[in-house]
Amino acid sequence: MALISNRQEATTWQKKYDAHAPRVGDFAPDFELLDNNGENLVRLSNFRGEKPVALIFGSFT
Amino acid sequence: MGLQDLYAKYHQEVQFLSIYIREAHPVDGWWFGKGPMSLLLKLSRSKVATDIYDPVSLDERRAVAGQCQDALQYGIRTYVDDMDDSVNKAYAAWPTRLYLIGVDGRVEYAAGLGPWDFSPAKLERAIEVYLKEITV
Repeated sequence: MALISNRQEATTWQKKYDAHAPRVGDFAPDFELLDNNGENLVRLSNFRGEKPVALIFGSFT
Repeated sequence: MGLQDLYAKYHQEVQFLSIYIREAHPVDGWWFGKGPMSLLLKLSRSKVATDIYDPVSLDERRAVAGQCQDALQYGIRTYVDDMDDSVNKAYAAWPTRLYLIGVDGRVEYAAGLGPWDFSPAKLERAIEVYLKEITV
């Protein structure tokens, strides 16, 4: 039962946020983040006009 | 081709940002540490962890992100999403997802939902096509 519940929760989350996720041709939502040491602030829009950016999202599990 | 190879091949032309987001299969969530998935992970010699609890603070999140960076060794600096998951939500990125953003700030490639469409090979094709376009 827990497995089904977890899967349903994941699917619900994905459907909810994917509806508003950027598609090809859309402006990428800007963000500012720090690295895992709490340093080296990065802002996506700082690369505009400079370099393309590959975004790789994930976790450890 | 894995992400490590992709980074090695294109890191001078493309900025790679690895973004650590909410855990996909923590011990206190949809855990893959037992049953068939556990066996599959062992057989595939996967580097993913099965003993991680979902971080409850930014400090914990940063610590796990550091462990993840050390274990996966992509060679790419890891940035950490805030506890409100704002970047994750903006890109519908959980549990994993790939994008390529052009120099004009527009999306050039958006993978489908993870984990099914997590394909470094597709990202590589997108990078190749895009780099050709902007050098013509």
